[in-house]
Amino acid sequence: MAGKIYSKPLAFSIAATLAVLAGSIVMMAYPMLRSDMHPKVEGLVPLGALELAGRAIYQREGCVNCHTQTVRPLQSEVVRYKGNRAAEPSGRYSLAGEFAYDHPFLWGSKRTGPDLAFEGWLKSAAWHVAHFENPQSVVPRSNMPAYAFLKDAAVDGDDLRAHMRTLRRLGVPYTDADLEGAAAALQGKTEMDAIVAYMLSLGKAVDRGGKGGLELDLEEKNPVATDVAAITKGRQLFDAQGCSACHGDEAQGQEGVAPSLIDDAFLGAKGDLPDAAYFGMIKGGSDVKRQLGRPGLADGGMQPFGSELSDEDIWSIVAWLRNQKAHEASEGHHDDAAEHGNR
Amino acid sequence: MNEYRYDHRTVQGFILSAIFWGVVGILIGLLISVQMWLPAANFPPYLTFGRLRPVHTNGLAFGLGVGAIFGLSYWIVMRLCKRPLLFPRLARVQLWLFNAGIALAALSLMAGYTQSLEYAELEWPLDVAIVVLWVMFAVNVFGTVLKRREQQMYVSLWYVIATVIAVAVLYLVNNLALPVSLTKSYPVFAGVNSANVQWWYGHNAVGFVFTTPILAMFYYFLPKATGLPIWSHRLSIVAFWSLVFAYLWTGAHHLVYTPLPDWIQTLAIVFTLFLIAPSWGSVVNGYYTVGQDWSKMRSNYLTKFFILGITFYGLQTVQGPTQALRVVSQLIHFTDWVPGHVHMGTMGWVTMVITASVYYVIPKIYGTEIHSVKLANVHFWLVLVGQLLFSITMWITGIRQGWMWKATDAQGKLVYRNFVDTVAGNYPYWHTRTLAGIVFTVGMLFFVYNVLMTIRKGRALERQAAPATPAAHVTAA
Repeated sequence: MAGKIYSKPLAFSIAATLAVLAGSIVMMAYPMLRSDMHPKVEGLVPLGALELAGRAIYQREGCVNCHTQTVRPLQSEVVRYKGNRAAEPSGRYSLAGEFAYDHPFLWGSKRTGPDLAFEGWLKSAAWHVAHFENPQSVVPRSNMPAYAFLKDAAVDGDDLRAHMRTLRRLGVPYTDADLEGAAAALQGKTEMDAIVAYMLSLGKAVDRGGKGGLELDLEEKNPVATDVAAITKGRQLFDAQGCSACHGDEAQGQEGVAPSLIDDAFLGAKGDLPDAAYFGMIKGGSDVKRQLGRPGLADGGMQPFGSELSDEDIWSIVAWLRNQKAHEASEGHHDDAAEHGNR
Repeated sequence: MNEYRYDHRTVQGFILSAIFWGVVGILIGLLISVQMWLPAANFPPYLTFGRLRPVHTNGLAFGLGVGAIFGLSYWIVMRLCKRPLLFPRLARVQLWLFNAGIALAALSLMAGYTQSLEYAELEWPLDVAIVVLWVMFAVNVFGTVLKRREQQMYVSLWYVIATVIAVAVLYLVNNLALPVSLTKSYPVFAGVNSANVQWWYGHNAVGFVFTTPILAMFYYFLPKATGLPIWSHRLSIVAFWSLVFAYLWTGAHHLVYTPLPDWIQTLAIVFTLFLIAPSWGSVVNGYYTVGQDWSKMRSNYLTKFFILGITFYGLQTVQGPTQALRVVSQLIHFTDWVPGHVHMGTMGWVTMVITASVYYVIPKIYGTEIHSVKLANVHFWLVLVGQLLFSITMWITGIRQGWMWKATDAQGKLVYRNFVDTVAGNYPYWHTRTLAGIVFTVGMLFFVYNVLMTIRKGRALERQAAPATPAAHVTAA
């Protein structure tokens, strides 16, 4: 009886279609009708014109083939990719609602390079420019190709307006003002500007509820200022935490990436800062920098290390920086003298 | 000799096209494997890893895979229906459109036109072309089946029919997009929903391009090559229906621990585990078929291709469900383990069966023997060694890197905080992978040479016979 189906192609095809559709309906079509497939988060804003232009470049260059954009709720992952201004633990990994305007999702399937879901919290614009131009200059041993050519191409405002119009048809809430402002927002910008703006937007579509800044007592003294063991440990932590990747091996800074931590014009303002200010900036990142009124780099690429380092560890780093500064100051005089001598 | 004439030229055209795109895809695979450890091997903007990786995957899945599926399915359909294709001219047009489409696809991906959906990267004009191609394929398959001269449909036909239906459904839904211009579109689905649709598609593209049509070849060409009948017809019935039913439930196992609703992840994992049963139904059937006379492994050079192929299919379909488990996924997901897994299936199962089927078909077209069994054996051992070296290397480094990502000290702090420290450990393994790729490529070049020499021999035979029967192999009515 059932064997007859193998001599009736029409009946067979209908049966095969039903078999194929069963799972498709339950797993693909039906979930679309459910609200848990379309979560909304409070205050989600779509990407601005320049960021959206950057996203299109991210797609074009196939970045998704090597970078994921979803932080899984695993302890090691939450610690590594810090969306760590989050007030709630649940804000420290990727949330369904923050991708609501992503046509399509760009979670990726391979992590040849690091996850980028919270990249906006982690690096400065200057770091990204230096990294795109020559990745190995800031991350030795990296296998990322250079994208210096992005600097030479302009982004097109009219083209981007068409992108925004299409996305609006798909339900992304761009306003008429957004569309009209696209050309102005992209005026004079390069593809490099656009992709960096996109990098800095990642993880920031949602207000994760944490507040920036710290309560600081600038009078507080470094308890380990003269402890040799602490200074040695500070040096080790400086390397181990990857501080040197931006600030240079000896904290001397890198042109266009991150400032020197041992010169006389720290963070763009002349004059020394108390130890407690250094401590606060390591612990709380760029928010503390702004709190202290130091201009530094405009976008504020310093990430907070408060969730990873104990206060004592941070004081050790400050102790090493102070030691290094004193050391450089005396070395520096020698260099000047040598230069004068040569002339 | 049958009294009917079959359209062998179109079949051979698809096979040669598939081989051509296969070589292109494999060479690009070699280049991107070098780019993994040598950034200077990227030549922006057109030849960077990010743009070439989809050329590699699409070139092999659609160029080699679908090309071979078109050609070999037509062979199977004609033989099992005991008649020529219903629309031979349409098939010829399909062949040309196929090659134009794959060429444009490769160029467009290098130009950076992409939807950013894995295995569905192609922008909408090419999607339209692919739909047209698939409709042509479907019309010929269904038409020929409806007008068949053999009452009973053999199991290979079931798999071909299921392939035609499932790929159509998958491809249409996942590629729904609103165009901005000719070269850019935005998919209609967003966020979590977009992820779910994509992996429903992505996993089943594997299911209905790399599994069902390859099983159609396996069930047809294994008995043909060995002369041994399929061991259990009943088992093939059970395995078929449970496979085509269960496959579509499993895609979300690609999204374990992502923001996708948990119930979808869990249900997908459950069905993925179930999928071991129908997969192994075919494995058991293959083994017991050859088990009727194991001496075929020695006496018939094609038998070992099919047996090793189905063995890797069996390993693949146990490893896959294992990876779907949450405890395993959290360690190996996003690492090089996954390319290791995929390449066992593609290099070990898909290409083994496709090349063996081609070895069977090409001499049959000309009524001759393969150019060299010895070269075919060299090909076999080289691709086997290349594939094993590739996969095992990637599994090791995948576990290694996954472990480094997770390593935390007693205070819960990362041991390897700098991501690049976990990357640097990949380099020796990535060097080895390139070596494995070279071994595999050399093996495939032996195959290509062998096929071309066989065709040359066949053409010479034809010319000798020509005065008697002009253009014997050409399209028949």
